[in-house]
Amino acid sequence: MHNILMKNILVKKLFHWSSTRKLQNAMTFSVILFLFRLVFPDNLSYSPFFVALSEALVILTFYSITLYIIDFIEEKKHSPLSVILNAGILNALIFFVLSVISPVFNELFGSNSNGGFIYSIAAIFLAFLFIVALSYNFSVFRSLFFLKQKRNPSFYFNTMTGFFLACSLASTVSFLHVEFGDFKTALLVVSILLITINSIRTSWIAFLTKKEKKYLLIISVVLSILFGVNIGLSNSGNLFVTQALTEFSPALHEFLVLMMSYGCIYFSVVFFTTLFHMPTAEAFDRKAQEVSSLMDLSRLMTQVFDFKELAETVTDITMKVCNSDSAWLISGEDGDFNLSAVKNIGYLEADKITDTLTKSYGLRKITGVKTISLEQLKAGNSTSAGEMPGTDFRMLAVSPLKVHDEINGYLIAARKSEDAFDDDDQKSIAAFADYAAVAIENAKLLAESLEKERMEKELDVAREIQYKILPDKTPQIENLQVSALFVPAFEVGGDYYDFFRLEGDRLGFVIADVSGKGIPAAFIMAEVKGIFESLARLIQSPREVLIKANEALRSSLDRKNFVTVIYGVLDLKSGTAFISRAGHSPVLLVRDQTIAELKPCGMGLGLDFSSNFSNSLEEIQIKLKENDILLLYTDGIPESKNAELEDFGYERFNKVILENAEGPIDIISKRIMKEVAIFSQGKPQHDDITLVIFKWKNKFNKSGEV
Amino acid sequence: MVDFNVETRENSHVNVVNLHGYLDAHTAPELEDVFTKLIDDRKFKVVVNFENLAYISSAGLGVFMAYVETMRENNGDIKFSNMSPKIYNIFDLLGFPLLYEFYKDEKEAVQKFNEKS
Repeated sequence: MHNILMKNILVKKLFHWSSTRKLQNAMTFSVILFLFRLVFPDNLSYSPFFVALSEALVILTFYSITLYIIDFIEEKKHSPLSVILNAGILNALIFFVLSVISPVFNELFGSNSNGGFIYSIAAIFLAFLFIVALSYNFSVFRSLFFLKQKRNPSFYFNTMTGFFLACSLASTVSFLHVEFGDFKTALLVVSILLITINSIRTSWIAFLTKKEKKYLLIISVVLSILFGVNIGLSNSGNLFVTQALTEFSPALHEFLVLMMSYGCIYFSVVFFTTLFHMPTAEAFDRKAQEVSSLMDLSRLMTQVFDFKELAETVTDITMKVCNSDSAWLISGEDGDFNLSAVKNIGYLEADKITDTLTKSYGLRKITGVKTISLEQLKAGNSTSAGEMPGTDFRMLAVSPLKVHDEINGYLIAARKSEDAFDDDDQKSIAAFADYAAVAIENAKLLAESLEKERMEKELDVAREIQYKILPDKTPQIENLQVSALFVPAFEVGGDYYDFFRLEGDRLGFVIADVSGKGIPAAFIMAEVKGIFESLARLIQSPREVLIKANEALRSSLDRKNFVTVIYGVLDLKSGTAFISRAGHSPVLLVRDQTIAELKPCGMGLGLDFSSNFSNSLEEIQIKLKENDILLLYTDGIPESKNAELEDFGYERFNKVILENAEGPIDIISKRIMKEVAIFSQGKPQHDDITLVIFKWKNKFNKSGEV
Repeated sequence: MVDFNVETRENSHVNVVNLHGYLDAHTAPELEDVFTKLIDDRKFKVVVNFENLAYISSAGLGVFMAYVETMRENNGDIKFSNMSPKIYNIFDLLGFPLLYEFYKDEKEAVQKFNEKS
């Protein structure tokens, strides 16, 4: 087990050299080959052993260089055209060397091949040039062969390469022993047959765009001719270069012929394949674009919740895929449309076209994708023909944005030409419209959940304001027990209570309920607090305080807002309470096990700012007796509801109060809350509850008269 | 939740607004829409019939305050009728009877409008 693993690693190391290592190998073999041929320049003068050694070195050098080049080509194989173009340039160079350099060298050295040292140097350089060029060609052919192949066809390619090698070596043998010539020819024929079979693997052409196919058509015809000419040149025996190459290494020369043949055959096949692909190129392009567009869109949908960005993408893609000159989205109600993501057309023009469409066709009629001619619209709409915009656009395709059978907009594509949108265009537009519809829906849902979150934040803020405004403790007074209880509702209700220690041993007290809920109520509450804090110290009479408070609130209250208040001042020396009421629930006076409602006349603050308000307002005076209880509350208590939506009501309220009137006042408020909780049976409290209780204790009063 | 709904009808050139169910901060906008429409249609004589109203919150009361001035400026008014004692108590505590006219019966309220004109 361990051994196998080691072996695998070893094999991997052997065959997956780094590119520097590959380069090193290539250089090493090249230098050995170079030195070898420098020392033994003439193949013919030596024994077959030397020839074999020389050919082996050539093959090793070729192999090592190919390994190095393949990596390069593999990196670039995603743009096959540029790879082909590079190969083309290289083969143009081969053509140049064969056709132009050869005659020059022929002149220099004559047809005699034994040209001495300079000749052999030139021959070696030429050989190296061809080794590099051929290994580049070989690598390119190999990459193209494997490009976009689903099943691994390496068997075919390896077989072919094997025959190439056999054919090349046979050429070397026949070079020394002419009688083996037929064998070589046979191998050559088989090789060319294999080339032809392998050349059919050109499926990568289908994946090119139409433009690239046109381009490939030209390149392939040029290349097949170029390779064809190169075959001819490399086979003609009286050219210097071919001669020198054959003498240097017959196998290399044979390989040159094979590669040129491969190129000629392969590019002929490519030419015809491309030619046959041409008519479908456009449709293929479009399908490919549609698929990639839809993929882009679905990726965007999961990443982007910004409707605008998605809308832009949708119209962009619609234009591209459906060959339209412009596109835009409309959303909203009939007759009140919003245009968005308007592409390649003026906003006003798009608006006019939409308008015409709405008026003379009726968008509501469009429940599936439709193509509409603007000309026909104009013709059918003689009355408003004058209004028709002077537009270049002739053809429209309209698709509704449908989610759950509900149409919330339309995608419109427009063309300047008179070509109607065909079935494929319409299908694509419908698909894009579906995406836009889902995007709009998503954006809406997101906005809703953000709104909900915002409201919850707002509630938190309002609650915080409320807690800051309310007093954190009740005043400590010898002859008066004071209890205050506040229970906020989930949605802040705007309850407020406060106490003010005033000059002359007096206590001011206020309980208020601001209409409305949430932040607006909390702000008014803050203002009410400020008003009472200052007025309480300035003005003695509760009635006057309320009149001034009403005036002060005039500028900040909306017409529909009001504040109900009870404001009172208790003289702690005499036990006399002065109380005024502005629309608030009455004060309860508990005395001798009976409850009396103290309900001086007065309307809520903010109801009226004329003399009606002050005229209606009364102030009452109550002389408290030992153990008298004053109870102030907000309507959250009597209006607490149970599951059957019944009110807690005054009867239950009064009953709890009387039952607990004898005990400490903290117990009274606790019992009231307990009863309310039992009554409402877990139904959420819908309004704030505030309860302020005073109990008068005469005996501690020094000046008290019992 | 018990729903709220509101309908308007005409009774001898006076617009009667019938309220049903629970009128609170969440349902008040519905009633606001009705009043806005009445003003848009220049219908300023309004009787609100409370016969089927079960509950009203401060936000509900605010709706009448918001629109009554416009009605009065245009020789109209908002008058209330058919209130249960419980609902009337809320209006009464607030001091509404000092500013608004309350009637036992819708017919009475309508008549009052027609007397004046």
